[in-house]
Amino acid sequence: MSVIDILTRVDAICNKYDKYDVEKQKNLNVSGDDAFARGYAAIDAEIEAALEKAELASKEKSKASTVALNAELRRTKAKLLDEVPKLQRLAIKKIKGLSTEDLAARNDLVLALPDRIQAIPDGAAAAAKQPGGWGPSASHTEIKFDSDGRFDDEYFQESEQSNQFRQEYETRKRRQDQGLEMISEGLDTLKNMAHDMNEELDRQVPLADEIDSKVDKAASDLKNTNVRLKHTVTQLRSSRNFCIDIVLLIIILGIAAYLYNVLKK
Amino acid sequence: MSSDPDKLVAKADKLTKLTLTRWSADWRNATLNYEQAANAYRVAKKYEKAKDAFEKASKGQEMLTSPWDAAKHMESAAALAKELGNWNDVADLYRRASELYVECGRAQPASDALGKAARAVEDHLPDVAVQLYTDACSLLEEDDKDQMAFDLYRALTAVHIKLEKYTDAAAALLRLGLAADKCNASNSQFKAYLSAIIVYLYANDVKAAEKCYNDCSQIPAFLGSDQGRCGSRLISAYSEGNVEEIKRVAQSSTITHLDHAIIKLGRKLPTGEVTAVKAGTEEGEGLDEDDLT
Repeated sequence: MSVIDILTRVDAICNKYDKYDVEKQKNLNVSGDDAFARGYAAIDAEIEAALEKAELASKEKSKASTVALNAELRRTKAKLLDEVPKLQRLAIKKIKGLSTEDLAARNDLVLALPDRIQAIPDGAAAAAKQPGGWGPSASHTEIKFDSDGRFDDEYFQESEQSNQFRQEYETRKRRQDQGLEMISEGLDTLKNMAHDMNEELDRQVPLADEIDSKVDKAASDLKNTNVRLKHTVTQLRSSRNFCIDIVLLIIILGIAAYLYNVLKK
Repeated sequence: MSSDPDKLVAKADKLTKLTLTRWSADWRNATLNYEQAANAYRVAKKYEKAKDAFEKASKGQEMLTSPWDAAKHMESAAALAKELGNWNDVADLYRRASELYVECGRAQPASDALGKAARAVEDHLPDVAVQLYTDACSLLEEDDKDQMAFDLYRALTAVHIKLEKYTDAAAALLRLGLAADKCNASNSQFKAYLSAIIVYLYANDVKAAEKCYNDCSQIPAFLGSDQGRCGSRLISAYSEGNVEEIKRVAQSSTITHLDHAIIKLGRKLPTGEVTAVKAGTEEGEGLDEDDLT
């Protein structure tokens, strides 16, 4: 017989004689009949899993995966917190075969759950000292640091480097503010000039319209005059009239010459 | 035609005088002569004679029923009178010119003539200048050309401030605001209102300034505008008696965009005692309590 065969046989025999396993039965029974116990067991299991993940996250080297794991943890915590009130309601219900002490114990267990859930470290307490300027949010009472207020630890002490860093940050911020103020003044002037230009243009619009109509009238007058002039000039200098003029001139000269001849005699 | 202006004038005069041989004056030729003579005098810098010649030319053009040319000649005469320094003459001649322009139906040149007159005499006869400016503005407003009136109102305000008549200056500024409102020039309008408030504060009349601010706040756009906010800061600084704040607001860029005269006033704020207005009201309440017994 090979090992696999032995394992399979052992499994089959266990399954057959499971009903004689008192411990297991008790556990199964309890969780099978009781909705509260079932829910409680589920939440318990999830809390354990979350704690394991938190362990993993704190050991992680890469920042991105830490952040991702922390986000997961926070989501799980939120979900668990939502399920707690449901469990609370179940805890108050009386189940047959349950003693009063057990009922009270259940209540306490449920109340202890939210604390346990919050205690799961999820990286929210990593920044012990936040740079200034976040006053209001710092007073949020629900945020808990996982260091339990032990700020004397060497880890949290102000180092010279951090002091310098803070000072540099403040100087740069002041310089930025000055620059921004200058820009703002310049923009103010620009806005004022733009407004004035706008009004000036508005003023010029009706004037431009007047000029437009006057120029149109003058142009049409000019065209008219040009046409009449052309008419007159063609009339005056047409070639036909010119020939008639020359012929008449020749006739007059002829008459004059004839008279001259007659008189000379 | 001889180019000697004296001879020209004499000739023209002869043409216009009615005698036995002449039953109707020959205005056309006379006017021509007068114009030539006037130009010759102007070139020769004989301003007095030039002015007279221009006046006569203008009369000639009037007789020829051409008010436009008549008005133009009057303006030239007035400009020469300005060179001479006859301020009363200047005012009269420009007024005549303006009337002639109105006859032509052209309000713009009429008000321009009055404006030139006012500018010429404002140093010497400020009251006359005020009158001229006001007339010019009303001419334009009648003709619905409010936009052109802005400059005149601003000049009028400057004259009033020089005369230290601050209520008049503020009134002129408010009329500017009204004209700007009619043509939807909101920027000029708000600047005018802010200037009026500053003028009132400079005259140490805080109540009037507050009233002015409240009146102007009826226009919702003013409240939200730069100028409105500046005005409210000024008023609140005054009512708190906070000199530092007043000085700071006066240095702000919004005030820098107003007229020069107003900027000068603003820099000099606060004038006189800036006591908190609250002190006055507290006393009043004390008296009332006593009276209620």
